[in-house]
Amino acid sequence: MARLQQIDHIFRKDVISLLLQQIINGFMIGCVYALTAMGGTLIYGILRILDIANAAAYVVGAYLGWVIYATTGNLAVAFFLSMALTGAIGVLIQKFIYMPILNKPNIIPIVPLITSVGIFIFTGDFIRLLVGPEIKDFGVVLPFSVINLGKIVINPEWILIIIMTVILLSLLWFVLNKTKLGLAWRATAGDSEIAETMGVNIQKVMALSYVMGYGFASAAGMMIGVLYSSIYPTMGDIPSYKMLAIIVLGGLGNPIGTIAAGLVIGLSETLISAYVGSVIPRDAIAFLVLITILLVKPTGLISRKNSI
Amino acid sequence: MKKRFKTWLLISLVVILGISMFGCSQPAETPAAEEPSSEPAAPAESSEPIRIGFFAPVTGAAASDGKSATQSAELAVKLINDGGGINGRPVELVKYDDGLDTKQAVNIAQKLTTKDNVVAVVSGSYSGPTRVAAPIFQEAGMPMLSAYAIHPDVTGSGDFVFSQSFSGAVQGRAGGVVAVDMLGAKRISILAVDIDFGKTLSEAFTAYVEANGAEIVSVDTFGMPESEFSPVLTKIKETVKPDLLYIACYPSHGTEIARQSKRLGLDVQILGTEGIDSYQFLEVAKEDAEGVIITTNMNRDSESDAVKDYIAGYKAAYNMLPDMVGASTYDAFETLFKVIAEVGTEPVAMRDAIKELKDFETVTGKLIEYAPSRVAVKPVQIQIVKDGEFHYYNEITDDAIIRD
Amino acid sequence: MYAIVVATNIGIFVLLALSLNIIAGYAGQSSIGHAAFFGIGAYTSAVLTSTLGVNFWLSLPIAFVVTGLIGALLGLASMRVKEDFLAITTIGINFVVVAIFQYAPIFGASLGMSVSKPSLFGIKMDNLMFLILVGALIVAMIIFMRIIEKSWFGLALASIRNDEAAASSLGVNIVKFKVLAFAVGTAVAGLAGGVYAHYMTFIYSSDFAFLVSISILSMVVIGGIGTIRGPIVGAIILGIAPELFRFISDYRMIVYGGLLVLMMLFQPQGIVGNGSFLVNKFEALFGKGRKKSVVS
Repeated sequence: MARLQQIDHIFRKDVISLLLQQIINGFMIGCVYALTAMGGTLIYGILRILDIANAAAYVVGAYLGWVIYATTGNLAVAFFLSMALTGAIGVLIQKFIYMPILNKPNIIPIVPLITSVGIFIFTGDFIRLLVGPEIKDFGVVLPFSVINLGKIVINPEWILIIIMTVILLSLLWFVLNKTKLGLAWRATAGDSEIAETMGVNIQKVMALSYVMGYGFASAAGMMIGVLYSSIYPTMGDIPSYKMLAIIVLGGLGNPIGTIAAGLVIGLSETLISAYVGSVIPRDAIAFLVLITILLVKPTGLISRKNSI
Repeated sequence: MKKRFKTWLLISLVVILGISMFGCSQPAETPAAEEPSSEPAAPAESSEPIRIGFFAPVTGAAASDGKSATQSAELAVKLINDGGGINGRPVELVKYDDGLDTKQAVNIAQKLTTKDNVVAVVSGSYSGPTRVAAPIFQEAGMPMLSAYAIHPDVTGSGDFVFSQSFSGAVQGRAGGVVAVDMLGAKRISILAVDIDFGKTLSEAFTAYVEANGAEIVSVDTFGMPESEFSPVLTKIKETVKPDLLYIACYPSHGTEIARQSKRLGLDVQILGTEGIDSYQFLEVAKEDAEGVIITTNMNRDSESDAVKDYIAGYKAAYNMLPDMVGASTYDAFETLFKVIAEVGTEPVAMRDAIKELKDFETVTGKLIEYAPSRVAVKPVQIQIVKDGEFHYYNEITDDAIIRD
Repeated sequence: MYAIVVATNIGIFVLLALSLNIIAGYAGQSSIGHAAFFGIGAYTSAVLTSTLGVNFWLSLPIAFVVTGLIGALLGLASMRVKEDFLAITTIGINFVVVAIFQYAPIFGASLGMSVSKPSLFGIKMDNLMFLILVGALIVAMIIFMRIIEKSWFGLALASIRNDEAAASSLGVNIVKFKVLAFAVGTAVAGLAGGVYAHYMTFIYSSDFAFLVSISILSMVVIGGIGTIRGPIVGAIILGIAPELFRFISDYRMIVYGGLLVLMMLFQPQGIVGNGSFLVNKFEALFGKGRKKSVVS
């Protein structure tokens, strides 16, 4: 009898540690999703457009980071320099493409959407023509190695992701809550007309959205590049629409909602593919979760009224 | 009445404009990279270029395979022209990009069969575009060789359509032989991409394995864009515990499976397919690729001049290593060249000559013959990754395996 | 032969663009997963003819109705989920539908589905006959849309598009008209799908992917959303471009992307949309009579 109980006990411990491993897997994936989608959320908060071109920033950021890392050998420099450069590109795109379009009278919401699709398609193929369609190796030397907690394995790349996530989200929190520009952003996100009458410089706020938004996408792209040790021109295809699902699920324009949504999707995908198997493709999972939740709560997980 | 007239006038103007521009367009001809510098002033026929059509997914989701196929096609044409052409006639490549879109493949096939004056076609594309184009070539009585698209409906379109690569069933069986007979595996997990490539291979593999005393302990599929295998690999490592992992997928998946399984501590032999026969796999997976075994068609260690010349020529021209896609495409052209040299460019003669072909040494091994189904019968090469490169491990010539 | 085939391919997309125009143009609903319904119609009629042996000409109206019913469900959902949320939901539906096509054995799963060529009065249909069929459907569609434009249905859709809340307060039955718009738009897409499946003789899940939805939407917007001529011109331009520009086929995608951006920057109302450069010049040339379309 004791023997049976012993076996039972071990078995359950294994099951639990397996579950924990899968939860960690899902959590990691969710973090990356959240960071990737954060850019789109920041932009939506101010401009109310679903910016698929954010996925272009994701790809550009990955390639820029790759080039910078290859020349400097320094990962931190690669991250922040590529974020800065991509953010700058974002400001240019915002100024010369989106502003003129949004300022036109009577445009329907589909117009900025098509614009962002155009930018995304252009960028992806531009990179293919410039660098080639093959997968390029993005191997980096990380200062930490695999962590083994009993049976649970944490890859060094995941540690990098956790660190970057913490840094970036703290940065975001700081900017939005402790700086004047951040306050202006939150005011504009809440109600742009009133904010403007109160003297907020909308131009600056929009520029901030794009710098932060594209910067985040760039960091996310680079992180994925490092995580999978590979970059390729079509790597933005899945994030382009999956991030839309996450932004919407998070309540459109709500940073905390985005983090929650990213984690929800990351965990769902992982747990379903681990325990239910490959009954439906992974991409469909994100959308099924989205559709189900939207039918119950049509304004997303966390409604827009809340802010950070 | 006036408003309606204006609307129709506008529409018809645009349509007329479109059709006129369209009627004047020419195909994207690309003469072979280096044509012989001077043509002898011989009677028109004997120096008239031999035009061969070609299409591959240069833009779109399969761009790296499209590039590989196109580069190999161009190399084949360049090399034959450097050697004086076929019976003195230069070869001209009429190449197209199908964007991995079946609608474009249909347009291209129509163009090739009615406007482009080609004598034969090679498909360097995936199953979808190849499969919709094949019936059009069949109906036009134009020989078409599919380099690596293995959907059964391709050759099923008719007797002018041939496939240069062995079928998914053959390769899956061969994988089974490697797994059970060569490696002695007893419990095998399968990871397969969810398109026809993955499905046909894993089915044939399963059939052989189960008929030969081993067990498939888990089957998991995933989509083309997938890169995250930790969840399924964790599951396999903790609960399934196989002694071999069979992966029917492409380089982007293969690299991640190899890397992530090592990271997770899943230390099991990985058996792959021609899908990961690519420099991309080697470059990204690096040391995690060591020891991976694949079933494929190109033997890097081959003593044959054909193989050595191809690999060296490709490297010199493009500064990168060729892969299975490129080798299969090159192969298709070599077959066409041989046939044209022997019987000329009359379609029925070419078709029959291809059918009769026996024991032709190609870049992808000895093409023994074409089966009645018009699929090439050739040995399956087994390669292993050693020191970051593919090397000879074994080969399968057993008729029971390589014939459908 | 080549011209006929290209024209038929374009024609099918003209139908798709016109059908999307009803939902996105007339009713102003953000529906960006339209290819899903293209696919539902295609697979429905394919299964009917190739697995169940139903006559092609019967399978078309069945595909029409089935797709329209599913579209009506989406219309109902659009009551609950609005604008940007609706847009994403339609993308989601596109993905889920394609996933079903890829995984369900009845649809051939990953091997795609072979479809038998249909016949008319015993003669196997060739490319020319398909072109005539598509042409006839387009003409019928144009007439149908003219009727909508001038009808109470069209007015109601216009009011919903302009201001849903106001329309509702004026007593317009929002639910009925939205659902109807979705039903009709998707049904026609399904019809186009049925023709497409039998014309290509082979369909695969990725034929109906999100990228195709974007193509259809681009055609409508580039041509001129909300008009009849717009989707037609847009579909022709985007359909013929790959053929015309084969010599720069390597740059095709960046030209496409760049074109989308430039169009939105300079002519968001479309090349031949109301108030566009071409249309204004045209009307100046042909004198007054500047009509205000009901659904501009």
